[in-house]
Amino acid sequence: MAEIRAEEPASTISKTFLIKPKLKSKPRSLPQTPESKYWSSFKSTKIPNLVSSISSLSFSPSPPHLFATAYSTSVSLFSPLSLSDGDVSPSSTISSFSDVVSSIAFRNDGLLLAASDLSGLIQVFDVKTRTPLRRLRSHTRPVRFVKYPVLDKLHLLSGGDDAVVKFWDVAGESLVLDLMGHKDYVRCSDCSPVSPDLFVTGSYDHTVKVWDVRVENSRSVLEVNHGKPVEDVIYLPSGGLIATAGGNSVKIWDLIGGGRMVYSMESHNKTVTSISVGRVRKENDGAESMEDRILSVGLDGYMKVFDFGNMKVTHSMRFPAPLMSVSFSPDCRTRVIGTSNGIIFAGRRKGKENVESGRVGNVLGFESISEPERRVLRPTYFRYFHRGQSEKPTEGDYLVMRNKKIKLAEHDKLLKKFRHKDALVSVLSRKNRENVVAVMEELVARKKLLKCVSNLDSDELGLLLTFLSKNATMPRYSSLLMGLTKKVIEMRVEDIRNSDALKGHIRNLKRSIEEELRIQHSLQEIQDLGTSRASLVNLFRGLGNIHLPSLQTSLTPAALLTSASLILMFGNKSRMVFVNFF
Amino acid sequence: MMRGGRSLVSSPPAFSNDAKKLLVCTSNTVSVFSTVTGLLITSLEGHTALVTSVIVVPPSNPAAKVLCYCWTASLDGTIRYWDFSLPELMKTIDIRMPIFSMGIPSFLDVPAEENGKHQDLFAYVSIEDTKETQERTKASRRQIRKCNLSKSRLVGRLILGETRKPEVLTVSPSGKFFGIRNKCKLHIWKVLDQGSERAAVRKITLHHTKKITVIAFHPTQRIIAAGDVTGRILTWRGFGNRAFAASNGVADQKLINVQEDKPGVRDNDDADSCSTWHWHSAEVNVLSFSSDGSYLYSGGKEGVLVVWQLDTGKKKFLPRIGSPLLYFIDSPDPTLSSISCADNQIHLLKMPSMGILKTISGIKAPCFYPDIYEGLGNGIAFDQTAGIVAVRTENYCIQFYSLFDDRGVSEVQVCERNHQPGDDVTVIVTSVALSIDGSLMSTSEVKLAEEGIGGLVCLKFWDAGSQNKEFSLSTIVYEPHRDAGISAVKFHPSGNMVVSSSFGGDFKVWKCNHDVIQNDQMRQNFSWTCHSVGSYKKKPMTAAAFSADGSVLAVAAETLITLWNPYKNVLLAVLGETLTPIVNLSFVGKSDNLVAASCGSNPQLSVWNMSKLSVSWSYKLHIEAVASAVDLSSFAALVLLPESSKKTTFKGMDGVILLFNATDPVPTVIWSVRKAKGGALCFVQVNPSSVEEISIDGKAPEVLLAYMNGDHEYVLFDPYCKDAREVSVSQKEGLAAHDHKGQAGQYGYASIYGELPEFDRKRPEAPWVPSFPSDRPWETIFSGSSHNLPPLTKLCSAFLESLLEKRTAAAE
Repeated sequence: MAEIRAEEPASTISKTFLIKPKLKSKPRSLPQTPESKYWSSFKSTKIPNLVSSISSLSFSPSPPHLFATAYSTSVSLFSPLSLSDGDVSPSSTISSFSDVVSSIAFRNDGLLLAASDLSGLIQVFDVKTRTPLRRLRSHTRPVRFVKYPVLDKLHLLSGGDDAVVKFWDVAGESLVLDLMGHKDYVRCSDCSPVSPDLFVTGSYDHTVKVWDVRVENSRSVLEVNHGKPVEDVIYLPSGGLIATAGGNSVKIWDLIGGGRMVYSMESHNKTVTSISVGRVRKENDGAESMEDRILSVGLDGYMKVFDFGNMKVTHSMRFPAPLMSVSFSPDCRTRVIGTSNGIIFAGRRKGKENVESGRVGNVLGFESISEPERRVLRPTYFRYFHRGQSEKPTEGDYLVMRNKKIKLAEHDKLLKKFRHKDALVSVLSRKNRENVVAVMEELVARKKLLKCVSNLDSDELGLLLTFLSKNATMPRYSSLLMGLTKKVIEMRVEDIRNSDALKGHIRNLKRSIEEELRIQHSLQEIQDLGTSRASLVNLFRGLGNIHLPSLQTSLTPAALLTSASLILMFGNKSRMVFVNFF
Repeated sequence: MMRGGRSLVSSPPAFSNDAKKLLVCTSNTVSVFSTVTGLLITSLEGHTALVTSVIVVPPSNPAAKVLCYCWTASLDGTIRYWDFSLPELMKTIDIRMPIFSMGIPSFLDVPAEENGKHQDLFAYVSIEDTKETQERTKASRRQIRKCNLSKSRLVGRLILGETRKPEVLTVSPSGKFFGIRNKCKLHIWKVLDQGSERAAVRKITLHHTKKITVIAFHPTQRIIAAGDVTGRILTWRGFGNRAFAASNGVADQKLINVQEDKPGVRDNDDADSCSTWHWHSAEVNVLSFSSDGSYLYSGGKEGVLVVWQLDTGKKKFLPRIGSPLLYFIDSPDPTLSSISCADNQIHLLKMPSMGILKTISGIKAPCFYPDIYEGLGNGIAFDQTAGIVAVRTENYCIQFYSLFDDRGVSEVQVCERNHQPGDDVTVIVTSVALSIDGSLMSTSEVKLAEEGIGGLVCLKFWDAGSQNKEFSLSTIVYEPHRDAGISAVKFHPSGNMVVSSSFGGDFKVWKCNHDVIQNDQMRQNFSWTCHSVGSYKKKPMTAAAFSADGSVLAVAAETLITLWNPYKNVLLAVLGETLTPIVNLSFVGKSDNLVAASCGSNPQLSVWNMSKLSVSWSYKLHIEAVASAVDLSSFAALVLLPESSKKTTFKGMDGVILLFNATDPVPTVIWSVRKAKGGALCFVQVNPSSVEEISIDGKAPEVLLAYMNGDHEYVLFDPYCKDAREVSVSQKEGLAAHDHKGQAGQYGYASIYGELPEFDRKRPEAPWVPSFPSDRPWETIFSGSSHNLPPLTKLCSAFLESLLEKRTAAAE
C-alpha cells in the first residue's frame, strides 16, 4: 500500500553530547537592545596626541561632513572618510590664533568657519583656503562661544566672560546688538532650527535666556533657571524644546509652554560638559524611521544616550578620560567625542555612502534611472539553476528548519572513537585550558585518565606537565589538577628522571606551587588578624574562588594583602556578595 | 484503587492482526495499546498472577483480519481466550500449573468449518508441575506439555520434555516446528499435521558448546538461529532432514549423501550446515527473522539492533537505543515492528528505515548503585497537584510519569552524557526535588572520581515553561558545598527558595531571582543565587524541610534538629537528640508537628511538637519514607518490617504503611505492602477537573495516597475511605473508548486515502460496541468528486473486502 501519512520525524533515542567546559557564571547584564547595538556599531577610532583639552567639536553641514576640532591654539579639520580608512591625521590645520580656541562654528553651507579664542577675538575663515576673512573684535574678556544661526548666513552670535551676548553682522565686521542680561560668564548658546531670529544662551548665573533679535529693548524673551551653572544648551530639532546641561543633570524645557521643565535626567555622576542631538535608526513594523536622541558627555567619562520621547536613558558608554565635547554628524554616520587630555574618540559606522546627498538629489529632481529590466531566466542560463536559493521567507511562510549540524571539535571526534590518549594530546596542544579540563573530566568519567597518562610518550608528557605547571594551582581547577599532578609524578617518575626537558617542567611546577603556598600563607596571616573568624573563613573562600585567578599572576602577596584588608572593612555585607558567586 | 507503573516488558508483546493494536503483558493484565497513538485502549483483566504469554489468533482468511481474539497464559495456571476488542473473556482453561510459556503452532491447521469436521486446537505449554513434588527431583518439574484447547484439558500424561529451568517455547512462523533452548542444547519438535491427541511428536536436538539464550525459526525454510551467552549467533540450515523427513518416507540414500558433508555441525546433529556470526559482545537476547525470511534481527545487552542479511551476512545497525533489548516483534504490517527494552519502553519502529515512530513508555525501573556514595535518596519526587512522579533513571534522566494516566510524560536529561548499558556508573543523580506547583525542579548529581582524581558535585535548577512541561536548565552550581556531597534538597512552599544540605557540615539557602523577558512570547528567566549559608557545630547536615507556611526551616545536624528562619538566616532553636543520624525530616501539614526519621542500628520515628519544642511520641521503626499532605494534620509512614516478623505475621509482605494523626501515637490505618525497600509515599491532590472522573461510591476523595514500591509499581488509593477501597476510573475508559472508536472505524476510502474532512461519523451511544464497522462503508466509499477518487482497482478490493466483513459479522 502506498504511503499516505506524511513522514513523521524519526525520534532519536540518544543525543550527541559535546565535551564542553564548565559554564562560567556570567555577570548579570541585560541583553543588548537594538538601540545599544546601533550605538555599538560605531567603529571607534582614537585620534591621539592633540595637545590639550578638546574644547569644541563641530561638523560641517554639507557633505562630506568634515569636522573641526578646537584644541589649544589651533583648529584642525578631519575628514570622516579618511577615518574609516584608519587615517588619523588632520586634513588641514588652522593655527593663526594667539590664544586658546574656545569655540568653532560652521556656516550652514559649510563654506565658512568661525572661531573664537580666549583673547576675545572672533575670526571667520574660508574652510578651503584657511585664510582669515573677517576679524571681529569687541569682547573685552575671553569669548566662550560663537554660533552661526541655522537659517541665516550673514550674522554671527558670540558671548563670553564679560556676560554680554553679541550679535554680529559678519560682512561688515560690525556689531549689530549687545544683549545684556546675564549676570555671570555666558558659556553656551544655540540658535533655533526653525527661526533665524531666535536663540538661547546659557550662563554660569544658572539661567538660560531666550533671545529674539526682533525685540527692541534687547531684553530676553524668556528665562529659565537650571539651578546649576549651565555648561551647554541645545535646541531640540522641533524648535520648541531646549535641553540644558549643567551640574550632573540634563534638563529639558518646553519653550512654547512658557519655559516649563519637562524632565531632568540625572544619570551622570559628574558635571555634564556637552550635549548634542543624535539620531538613531528605528525599525517599526518593517518601516525604518529615524528618532532623535540627546547625547550627553560628562567629566565622569560616560556618554549617555537619552531618548527624550520616552524619557529614558537607552544607552551608556564608558570612556577612559573625562569628556569635554560631543558632536554627531548630520548624515548620522559619525560621532566624535573630545576628552580633556587631547584624545578624540571618533566613531564611524558602516553604511551606504552619501545617504544624505542621494536624498538631496531626489529633491532636486534628479530621479535615478529606473532599474534595468530583469532578464527572464531560461534553462540555458547558469543562474536558472540557482533561482530561488537566496529567497527570503515571507511572513506567512511555514519554515522547515534544517537540523542544526553539530560541530564536533577534534577531541570530540577522537573521544567518539575511543582514542582517549589522542584526544587528550589534541586538546592539550590547543591551549584552551577550559577544554583541557573538560576532556580530563570526561576521561575521568570513562575511567581512562590514568591509562592515558601512562601511555603518553615523553613529548606528550612534557605537554601535560607544561599545562599542569601553569594551571595546577588555579583554584577553579585545582581540585582535579592537583590530584592529577601527584598521580602523574608518581606514575612517570622514571621517565622524568631520564629526561632533562621534563625535569625543567617539574622545576616550573615546583615554582608555581611555592608561589601559591606563599599566597596561602599571607592569606592565613590576614585571617589571624581578623576580628570575626567565621565570617572571614567564608570570605577567604570566596576570595580564593573568585579573585585569585585574575590576581594571581599580576599581584604580589603584598598587593593581595591590601585587597584582602579592603574587603575586610566591608565586613559581613560583602560576605553575602561573595557567597553569591559560587 | 488505581494501580500502575507495571512492567511492560515481562514477556513478549503481540500485535493484533491489523497491526493497529499491541497487546502487552502487564503483570496480571494484558494491556492493549494503540500503535498509532501509543495510548492505552483497554486492558484484559482476569488473570490472578503474572501473564506470561499472549498469542493473537491469526486470521484464517483475509476477511477475518478484523477479528480480535487472543489466547493468554499466566502463572496462575489458566489459559484464557479473549475477544480483546470488547474486551470480553470467552473461555478459561484451568490446568492448575503455572505456565511459563505457551505456543500454539497450528492455527492454520484448524480450518474453521471445513467439511463440517471441527479439529481440535492444540497448544504447547511450558509448565511447572507443582503436584508431585515428593517423588520427583526438583530438576525435572519443569515440563513441556501439550494442551488441547478445544477440549480444555492437558493431553493425558504426555510430557514432551523436562528442563531444569522454565524455558520459553518458540514456535516457528510456519507452525510446523517449535523449540526450546536447554542450556547448551536446542530441542526442536515437529508438529504433526493430524491434530490427534496422542500423536507422538518427534524431537531432534542440536548441540552447541555455549549456553544458548534465544532461538528463532525461519518463516519458510528449515533454518533455525540461536544466540548464545558469548554473543555468537548460530544458524543451522536444513535441520531435521533425517528425523523429520524419515516419517514421510523419503528415500534413504539421499540421507546418506547428506551425511557426508555437514560443515560446522557438531557431533551427529541433524542439520545440513551450521554457520556462526559474531558481532555482539555480550549475550544475545533478541533474535528474529523478518517475515520474508531474508533478514535476521538480533540485539542484546549493548542496546543495538543489528540487521543481518541472511545470505551475505552483511550488517545494518540501529544504534544508541540506550537500554538492553529484550524482544523484537514483527507485525502483520510489514512497515511496523516493535522492540521492547529493559528500561520498560516499547519502541514502535517504522520498518525499512528503522525510525522510531512512537514509544510506549512505562515507568523506568529503579537503578541500583553500588554503595559507594553516601546519602543516596531513592530519587523519587512527587508533584502533588498534577499527580506526576519524577523518578531517577539509569540513563542520567529524570522521567516524569503521570500517576493518573499511567504513562510516561516526559524525560529530562540531567547530565550531558550518553548512557551505554553495561558501562560503569560514573555519574549518579543523587537527589531530585520538585516545587509544590511542579514548575521548578532541582537535581543534584555527583561525578565519581577515578582513583581519587576528579569527582564533582553539581546542583542544578530547572524550570518548566508555563505551557509546556519541558524542563530547561536555569542554573548550574558546581561544587555547591565544596567537595562534600548533598544530602537533601527541598523547595520552599512558595517555590522561590531551595535549601540544600550537605554532609560537609553546612546548608545553603538558594533564592530565585526571576525576571520576565518580553520578546515574542513571555519568557521567564530564572536564576538562582545563594542567599545564605548556615552550619551548626560543623556537624554533617543530613536532612532538611520547610514548614508549610515557609517560615521555619528545619535542618537535621546528624542527631539534632536545628530550626532556622530561612529569610534572615537566624538559628531559632535546637531540638533534642536522637540515637542515630536523622535521614528524613517532614513537617506535618499545617500543624505544628515535625516528623523525623532516623535509620541505622537504632532506627527511630519521632514526632516533635514545635510549640513545646519537645518529642511528642516516637517509635523504634525503620522508616523508608514519610509523606504528609499540605493541609492535613496526619501523615503516612512507610515502615520496613524487621526480618523476624516478616515470616510470621505478614505473608510475604515486607513493609507496612501507617497512617498517623500527628498528635496521636496510635496509627489510624495500617496497610501491609510488598517490596517496600526503596519505596516512596505521597499524598496526591485530586484536582477539581478530574473530580467527577475519579470517584468512590459517587463521592470524590480530596486526596489520594500514592505508594510506589521498590520496583516502581504504584497504587493510588483513598486513605480515609474505610469501606469502599475501589477507585473507579471512568475517565481512562472514556478516553480509551474514544481512541478505540477512532481506529476501528477506518475502512474503505478512509483506510486508503485518509479521512475525508467533512466525513461526519455518528458515534454510537454505548462506548462498548464491537469493532465491526457500525456504518456502511460501501455507501461512502465511492462518494467524493471523481477526480480525487482512487483508482478503481484499489477501491474495488477495499469495497469487496468491506462487503465480506459485513457478512462474517452477520454470521457470527
